[in-house]
Amino acid sequence: MYEWSDEHLMLQQAMRDFVAKEILPIKEELEHGDLPPYDVLRKLYSTFGMDEMARSTFAKRIAHEKAVAAGEPVEEKPSRHGGGDAGYTLIPIIELCRHCPGMVTAMGVSVGLTASAIQAKGTIAQKERWVPELLTLEKVGAWAITEPNSGSDAFGSMLSTARRDGDEYVLNGSKTFITNGPYADTIVFIAKLDEGNDPKDRKVLSFVLDRGMPGLEQPKPLRKMGMHSSPTGELFLTDVRVGRDRLIGETEEVSKGGRDGAKATFQQERAGVAAMSLGIIEQCLELCVQYAKERVQFGQRIGDFQLIQQKLAKMEVARMNVQNLVFRTIELSRAGKSMTFAEASAMKLYSAQVATEVALEAVQLHGGNGYMAEFQVEQLARDAKVLQIYAGTDEIQTVAIARALLA
Amino acid sequence: MNIVVCVKQIPDPADPGALDPESKTLKRDGKLILDESDSYGVEMALQLVGDSGEVTLVSMAPNGEVSGLRTALAMGAAKAVLVSDDALKGSDALTTAKVLAAAIGKAGEYDLVLAATESSDGYTGVVPEQIAAVLGLPSVTFAKAVSVDGGTVKVDRQTEAGYDEVTCPLPAVVSVTAGVVEPRYPSFKGIMAAKSKPVDQLALADLGIEAANAGWAGAGQEIVEVAAAAQREAGEIIEDDGEAHAKIVDFLSNLKVI
Ligand SMILES: Cc1cc2nc3c(=O)[nH]c(=O)nc-3n(C[C@@H](O)[C@H](O)[C@H](O)COP(=O)(O)OP(=O)(O)OC[C@H]3O[C@@H](n4cnc5c(N)ncnc54)[C@H](O)[C@@H]3O)c2cc1C
Ligand SMILES: Cc1cc2nc3c(=O)[nH]c(=O)nc-3n(C[C@H](O)[C@H](O)[C@H](O)COP(=O)(O)OP(=O)(O)OC[C@H]3O[C@@H](n4cnc5c(N)ncnc54)[C@H](O)[C@@H]3O)c2cc1C
Repeated sequence: MYEWSDEHLMLQQAMRDFVAKEILPIKEELEHGDLPPYDVLRKLYSTFGMDEMARSTFAKRIAHEKAVAAGEPVEEKPSRHGGGDAGYTLIPIIELCRHCPGMVTAMGVSVGLTASAIQAKGTIAQKERWVPELLTLEKVGAWAITEPNSGSDAFGSMLSTARRDGDEYVLNGSKTFITNGPYADTIVFIAKLDEGNDPKDRKVLSFVLDRGMPGLEQPKPLRKMGMHSSPTGELFLTDVRVGRDRLIGETEEVSKGGRDGAKATFQQERAGVAAMSLGIIEQCLELCVQYAKERVQFGQRIGDFQLIQQKLAKMEVARMNVQNLVFRTIELSRAGKSMTFAEASAMKLYSAQVATEVALEAVQLHGGNGYMAEFQVEQLARDAKVLQIYAGTDEIQTVAIARALLA
Repeated sequence: MNIVVCVKQIPDPADPGALDPESKTLKRDGKLILDESDSYGVEMALQLVGDSGEVTLVSMAPNGEVSGLRTALAMGAAKAVLVSDDALKGSDALTTAKVLAAAIGKAGEYDLVLAATESSDGYTGVVPEQIAAVLGLPSVTFAKAVSVDGGTVKVDRQTEAGYDEVTCPLPAVVSVTAGVVEPRYPSFKGIMAAKSKPVDQLALADLGIEAANAGWAGAGQEIVEVAAAAQREAGEIIEDDGEAHAKIVDFLSNLKVI
């Protein structure tokens, strides 16, 4: 794949029309008010039949799994992506990120991370119970691993615990920086099984919680630098009792002590970041080219100054590189393959860095206007920065790449 | 019920290109898109047929262009007939209507033909009536609402004062005004399906039209001159000194709008 197909372009145009009509008029409330993004995201899903498609894709995949479980002969597992084309997943991300990257974070954590965590390791009954409504956004999902004292070292210093009590588990702990935390209906809560053993030997288990369970608190959103259209919050659990039916996989026998389930989830997140970066870069570049043609100083368009031209050229290089990474993701998925963990890390590291660089240079190119909230580059620069922090920091991606190279 | 919708594919108005200095017509070498004016006809047709019929698109465009047709197919139309032929270069409105009328004859059984009142690029606003004349069908223009009851179509026809209620027997040609329905977005499924929907590509010979009667050769119309549109005059700014409302009222009553 070296360019978008006609269908991709049609989808892109339809998304742009939707954004212009449904999102831009309420953007102020999404980005600077307290309007949660879920209703307009649901409208996006129903308008384009994404909900219906997600339901039918899920039904096909679950039928496949049941056939496998029953030992029946089966064909290849149906793709996660509608029509087997990851472009249909990534183009909406790109187009939304031109204006409201936060909405993508909120959407991605719900339909991506949370649903995937259950889909990857859950039992068939658990999938049927929680996944369809997450995939259609009828229910908002959150995926909670980070804690006040445990971020990059997610497993090492995790303090949240699960203790056995008869047939049940009792869950305790605090989570923070949890996307959708304040509004989530379905929460994947990651904790260590406390058997009185050394914390570093404890198994990591994931539980599915529902909003309103006794002992579960979901306080209001935290204030943050950017991504305002994505509510982020804390979770507090005090003696939350759950049955085994809420333990993902319904077994404590988790491979690699439960550390690989979360890892697979990280990987998927990383491909999404490349598409987000592309949306931010494309928008910044377009705004900058326009501004460079219009803004006059010293009697000429600022685009005539070589130092401004250099900024534009570097943005174009970034756009081409990140677009190629997105194309590669689409091609790999079409071929039924996926990136290695290190390659996904490299893609995430590079895309996040150039998106931030481009957005900051876009502010610079706009001068004082660029620092004003009235100009969109101000928002995109604040939003882009988080791409270097969540889904594994730049430093953690670097470590993963180097580790693979030196292995 | 089956409906045929005439859809014109035009240069993107956001990037309209240029006029050919020689023929003074719009250059149409690049990619063409669905004329927004026609998206209303497509939507209306889809609403009218519901689950009990098919919408077929008919278009005349250069270079085998299908991009605009794919958009309407993604919205839900079932199939399309496209007429594309080098000999059509230079065709005027009447030739266009003759070609479209012949193409409608290749679109299968139909009860109703819809078109827009006028296209966004040419906007002569005569093609639908000419099609009706060529086909010998009744023609209703400026439709803002259309319903079908058995063998008749009922149209609310926009007038300066309001609207007329018009009925006429089917089949008929009805041209609809812009903005009267909300064109749907193509769904993901629709976009995926559009690629494999049939587009019947025809040349002049397939329609039994002689090249000598089409294109430049057959044009009864000629574009003799192209003049730049007059510059818009600067608006009048009224500073509010407490009496601005009175000046605005005077201004508007001078225009006879209040
Ligand atoms: C002398 C002359 C030379 C021309 N030469 C060329 C040329 O070389 N190349 C060229 O591309 N055009 C050329 N044109 C433009 C011509 O072909 C117009 O498309 C035609 O006159 C229709 O005019 P309109 O768009 O104003 O139709 P209108 O009457 O404004 O259109 C009303 C509706 O009719 C339907 N309709 C109209 N045209 C089409 C169509 N082509 N396909 C499907 N539905 C349609 C649509 O629903 C449209 O909204 C020329 C015109 C003239 C007068
Ligand atoms: C907007 C937003 C949304 C989020 N959403 C979620 C969510 O939905 N669910 C969830 O569980 N978490 C979420 N997070 C948390 C996010 O994943 C963590 O913030 C991130 O993993 C970093 O952890 P930390 O904040 O504890 O930083 P720390 O790990 O304390 O890092 C501090 C600094 O030290 C560096 N560092 C750490 N270890 C190393 C090392 N080994 N080598 C070199 N440098 C190192 C880091 O790179 C960083 O620069 C979100 C965060 C934000 C900001």
